[in-house]
Amino acid sequence: MSTRAILAASLPAAAAILVFGTLYGAAARAIMGVPLTVASSLLIFSGALQFALLALLSAGATTLPLVLITAALNLRHLVLGAVLRPRLEGSRLRRAALSFFLVDETFGFAVAAGQAAERAGKPVGPVTERTLLVAGLTCYLAWQVGTLIGLLGVGLAVAENVAGAIFPVLFIGLGALAVTRFSHAVRAVVAALLTAAIAFAWPDLRVVAPVVAAVLVALPGGER
Amino acid sequence: MNALVLALIVAITYGSRAISLVLLPRPGARLEAILARMPAPIFAGLATATLLTGDRSLVGGPILWAALGALVVSPARSLLACLIGGAAGYTLGTLLIR
Repeated sequence: MSTRAILAASLPAAAAILVFGTLYGAAARAIMGVPLTVASSLLIFSGALQFALLALLSAGATTLPLVLITAALNLRHLVLGAVLRPRLEGSRLRRAALSFFLVDETFGFAVAAGQAAERAGKPVGPVTERTLLVAGLTCYLAWQVGTLIGLLGVGLAVAENVAGAIFPVLFIGLGALAVTRFSHAVRAVVAALLTAAIAFAWPDLRVVAPVVAAVLVALPGGER
Repeated sequence: MNALVLALIVAITYGSRAISLVLLPRPGARLEAILARMPAPIFAGLATATLLTGDRSLVGGPILWAALGALVVSPARSLLACLIGGAAGYTLGTLLIR
């Protein structure tokens, strides 16, 4: 997969991330001030976590709840990283640098690119690493630009609904690419139902529900 | 929130991303087989999670229609087709709900 193809595939996600970045920048300015808002986007690079922190801060949370929500929301990275690990062949230093860009969307692009390379009989590692880097940089830049636009007070709230529609569509598309066997499709449907059940039973676990469901449905053996 | 708390949050976040990718050895064949079965369920779960709100309800109608549009064309196994299907679904949903 060429860099240009990775960029083209990443752009819809980057556009949606930019819109959410503006919402974050606009909301965070009043609560955290400009320097911390900029620093948080530059260093954390996680929309779900940053919005959750903002909600807690606006409710007057102290350090402990902030740390706990950070740990809870980041738990899914352990599983995403474990799934991606066999597909990366670079050195520890290289993997350490790439891991900064591990978010839900870049994970999806990297896995899909690796699977495409595998089907084409090409080496998986280089393609997966390049995709994680290029898609990661694209999404990272979009998040930073969005945050800055929001800090400048330019409202893109009208685009929020359209941006909100991009993520489910993107994940359905990536899921379709990841299905290479009938059993994958069955597991995907079961995971979707399980995620919905967990999210309805415990709404606060909505962010980690997909990973919990995926682990549960991936454990039983057998492929068809 | 001050700079120290931010640094702690950054460390936890980066650590969670790096720990599996950097510290884990390449998994054995059995674990690798389990991990290889996970991408499709993860994406299905993530898609589902983006359609739910924090108060046990579904997101707005056009977004559901966009997801339905993408789902209909998903057997084509093309990201572009899903994006087009999603856009068509969103447009249809907006027109129907108006």
